[in-house]
This record gives sequence, C-alpha cells and structure tokens, in this order.
Amino acid sequence: MTWTQAAFGRITLGLKMLGFLVLLGLAASFVWMVQETRRYADAVVATQEVRVAAAQLLGSLQDAETGQRGFLLTGDAAYLAPFEESEQALESDLPELGARLAAEGGNPALEATLDGLITAKLAEIRRTIALAQQDELAGAIDVVREGRGKALMDQIRGLLQGIEARALARLQDRSATLERAGGVLLAAALGGCALVALLGLATLTIAMRYTRDLDSAQAALKRANASLEQRVQARTGSLVAANEEIQRFAYIVSHDLRAPLVNVMGFTQELETALVAVREAMDRAEIEAPALVTPALREAVREDIPEAIGFIRSSTNRMDRLIGAILALSREGRRRLVAEPVPLGATLESLAGSLAHQLDARGAELRLQPPFPTLESDRLALEQILGNLLDNALKYLEPTRPGRILVRARREAGMHAIDVVDNGRGIAARDHGRVFELFRRSGPQDQPGEGIGLAHVRALARRMGGDIRLTSRLGEGSVFTLLLPDKLPAADPALQPSPEEQPA
Amino acid sequence: MNVSAQAVTIVMIEDDEGHARLIEKNLKRAGVYNEVLHLASGTAAMDHLFGPHRQGGPPVLVLLDLNLPDMSGIDILARLKADPVLKLAPVIVLTTTDDDREIRRCYDLGCSVYITKPVNYETFAQAVRQLGLFLAVIQVPPTAP
Repeated sequence: MTWTQAAFGRITLGLKMLGFLVLLGLAASFVWMVQETRRYADAVVATQEVRVAAAQLLGSLQDAETGQRGFLLTGDAAYLAPFEESEQALESDLPELGARLAAEGGNPALEATLDGLITAKLAEIRRTIALAQQDELAGAIDVVREGRGKALMDQIRGLLQGIEARALARLQDRSATLERAGGVLLAAALGGCALVALLGLATLTIAMRYTRDLDSAQAALKRANASLEQRVQARTGSLVAANEEIQRFAYIVSHDLRAPLVNVMGFTQELETALVAVREAMDRAEIEAPALVTPALREAVREDIPEAIGFIRSSTNRMDRLIGAILALSREGRRRLVAEPVPLGATLESLAGSLAHQLDARGAELRLQPPFPTLESDRLALEQILGNLLDNALKYLEPTRPGRILVRARREAGMHAIDVVDNGRGIAARDHGRVFELFRRSGPQDQPGEGIGLAHVRALARRMGGDIRLTSRLGEGSVFTLLLPDKLPAADPALQPSPEEQPA
Repeated sequence: MNVSAQAVTIVMIEDDEGHARLIEKNLKRAGVYNEVLHLASGTAAMDHLFGPHRQGGPPVLVLLDLNLPDMSGIDILARLKADPVLKLAPVIVLTTTDDDREIRRCYDLGCSVYITKPVNYETFAQAVRQLGLFLAVIQVPPTAP
C-alpha cells in the first residue's frame, strides 16, 4: 500500500488524537476516583460519628439506669447525681445522634422513635425514684421488677445496634463499591496504557512504511532521472551529429559553389583582357576606317560590355565573400573551444586599445565600468564576440551626436551578463531578431559588411553555453547583453576534431 | 626562354575544364611555355604517374587540385611524396578552400606551394616559373649519368 502525504498526515494525526483521548479519559477517571475516595473517607468519618453518638446516648442511658439502681439499693441520694447528669446529657445526646444520623444518610425518623422510648424510660426511672423517696421502696422495686424499664432499655439498645449495623453495612457497601471502582479503574488504566502503546506502535509502523514508500519513490525518481539523463544524452548526441552534419554540409556546399565561381571570375577576367584588344582594334578602325565603327558597336565596346563585366565582377566578388563567410563560420563551428581563466577587464582593455584610433577618428568615447569578473572560458571566442560587439557599436554610432559606448558586467540568473551599451542609431524593433541571422542587416546599408558578425557572435555565445540578447530603440541606441556561464560547458566529443582531421 | 625550364613537363591534375583552361591560358600569358599535360581525374593522374606507361625521363611539375570527384588530391600528394623518384617533383596545390588544417596537411605532406583559387594569376605564374627553374637545377645530377 502506498501512502500519500496527505493520507499519512491524516492517519497519524487521527491516531495521535485517539491516544490523547484515551489519556484524557484515564485522567478523568482518576479525578473521579480521587473524589470517590474522598467521599468514602467522609462516609467513614460520618459512620464513626454515628457510632460515637449512639454509644454516647447508650452510655448516658446506662448511667441513668445505674444511678436509679444505686439509689434503689442504698437509698443514698448521692446516687441520684449520675442520673441527673445523664438526664441532662441525654438532652444533647439525642439531637446529636439525630444530626449525625441525618449526615450519615440514615433514617431520621428513628430520632423521634428513640425520643419516645427514652422519654418513657426516663419517666419509669423517675417514677421508681419518686416511689423510693416516698419510702415505698417495695413499690419502686415492683415497678422495676415489672420489667417495663428493661424492655424499654432493650428496645433502645436494639434500635441503636440497628443504627450502628446499618451504618456499618453502608460503609461496607461503599468500601466494596470503591474497591470495584478501583479495580475497574486499574483495568481501564492498564487497557488505556496498552491502547496508547498500541497507537504508538501503529503510528510508528505507518511512519516507517511511509518512510519506506518515500525511499522507494525517491529511488524511482532517481531511476527516472537517470533514464531522462540518458535520453537527454542520446538527444544531445543526435543534435551534435545533426549540427556536425550541417557544418559539413555548409563546408562542402561552399566549397563546391566556389568551383564554378572561380570559372565565372576567371573568364570574366579573360573577357576583360580580350576587350582590351577589341577596344584597341576599334580605336584603330575609327581612325583608319571610321565607316566600320557603327554607333551600336561603339556603345557595345565602350559602355555595354564594360558595364556588364563590372556587374558580373561585383556580384562574383560579393558571392565570393559570402561563400568565404560561410566557410569561415563552418570552420569556426568546428574549432574546439578550450576553457582557461580569462580576465574580462584585461581583455576589454586590450580590445579598447586596438580601437583607440577609430574611436579618436570618430570622436567617440568608450568607457569600461568595472568590476569585471574572470571567466573560465575560451579566450579567442570571447575576444571575437566582444570585438565584434564593440566594432558594431562604433560602426553604427549616430553621426549627429558624440558617441558614447559603455561596457559593464553584472550577474543575471546565475550567469555573467556583459552589457555593451551605445547611444548609436539603434535598431528598429522588427529587426531585433533578424540582425542575428546570417546575411541579414538592419537600417541604411551605408556601412561595409556582409551581415555575418552577429550571426557568428550568437553561434559562438551559444556554443559557450550562453546567449546574446538585444534591447534597442531606433534612433536612441542599443544594448547588446552577452550572457555567459562561469565555466565553459564540458566539450562534447563530437565537436572535437576527429583523428583524420588532425595534422599528421 | 630557359632551356632547362623547357624540359619540365607540367602535369595538371584538374577536373574542372574551365579551371584547367584558365590555368593554361595564364601560364602562356606569363611566358611559361612548358608542355602542359592535362589530366581530368584522379584515376587518369594515377595511371599516368604510376601506371605501366610511366616515363622515367623528363622531370615534372605537378599542379594538383585537391577537390577531385573520384579521389582526394591529398591521397595523390601522399603517393607522390612516398615515391622515391617522384617525391623530387615540386607540387603546387590549387584549391578552392583556404582551410588552415588542409593547408597545414599539404605542407606536412611536402607540397611546395599552396594556392587558393581564384588565383592571382601573376603570382601563380611566377611560382610556376620559379619552381620550374628550381626543378631543372635539381634534376641535373640524375639526368647526367
């Protein structure tokens, strides 16, 4: 299974959330457990208090009964003191028990029942004491013997035991609940821990699988890249071969075109030579036999033939130059570029030096604006390009204003950009592409040239891994920007001279 | 006209009739009246120079066009310079290209003069004359046993 990055994020986040929720649940249960434990402790205290209050009440009643019995046995009034104290104590003991009972959660109605029984008991005690004080001891003992007081006491004791037992039972109940809750909580905690561990494991597994997927995707990408590189190499190879083919074609064509041209030029010269003899003959005929020289003949010999020869000659000369240029370009294209450190500043200085005379003659100024980098490039090619651009800048200055040519270097898109800026006559926008084409020129054709320079410059710049760009406005000036990499690209083997072409 | 120069036969290996004609005319015009033997193909040239009818006698000067349809002039030049007798013959290479590599190759193989067409026929005739004289001088020992 392959994970997308989004799915991976969603799933791991979900697992983390789940783990967090489990932990939150556990924390809440622990809080509940603490509360429960605290309630249990409160209940224990309340039960204790009920038991204490019940014992207190029973104690007081027993004291009262003890006082009664002592007095009846001895007739000593000193025994009445505990009874009276108990009677007083009972007044507070009963409400106390009632309150504790209410707090503990027992039956509050018992207080009223107890109240009735205690009042009855105390009444019985008081009646026996009153009989004894009236010297009717036997009557008093009879009352005791009747057993009513004992029965009341038993009833009270039973009730109090009941209260205690119920309180204890409730306590036990709570204790059992607490224990159960503790057990459940323990189990839940263990389960929760296990779940969290499981979630952690799941997240880890997913992360590992995701990483593995990423790795394999990366490997696949690498393979794709490698095959792309191979394809690019193959394509480059065929391009180089095609380029080589074109170079050879240009070479052969220009070579073969030249052969007939040599004939045209040579025989034109022959015609010219022959014409000299013809003209001499006609000159002589004009003197010796003027009738033979018709106006048509004169015109043909003096004007038509020389004019025709002149046109043939200028055309063949031009054709010869064009073919020569193609040959030179194709030869240049086959020259192997060699990288070496070329300080641009020094190169420009020397070019400027060789142009100094022409600059003076035209009253123009060439300014080199440092800093200039040192390029790892082909020195000759760089000199040819810059020389050509400077030549052009100088050649096409606007005669009506002082010429200003500026050269500066800067960085652009990871390359060196060398600007050759002039305030010359400029190039119309429609010609910006054309000027880089072979044999194409722009503007008034008032300067010598075949339209080869910029084509050559562009071919060279591209072979050096760079390019050339033009921004210009007609009548205002031009900026030629030469883009070159820091380092000449590795020479492709196809462009190196093959063994047969190398000198023996 | 120099007698020893007369003895030199000019072997012109040139496939283009026009070029051949121009060369002949200009040689004559420049006063070089040596016999000119025109061979219009590489095969014909090889037959004449190395074939069964090969003459050992009169010294020759070779005018060689590099761009022949049936074989490369460079090969003919190499054969000439490898031959014990013919290697003494001066060779003037005439071609339509001015490729540095090609020029160097020709000089390395032992050509005497390399001339690019279209030729300045004055210079061309001058070269032929001088080489013809030179040839006549160096040909003296073998022809006088």
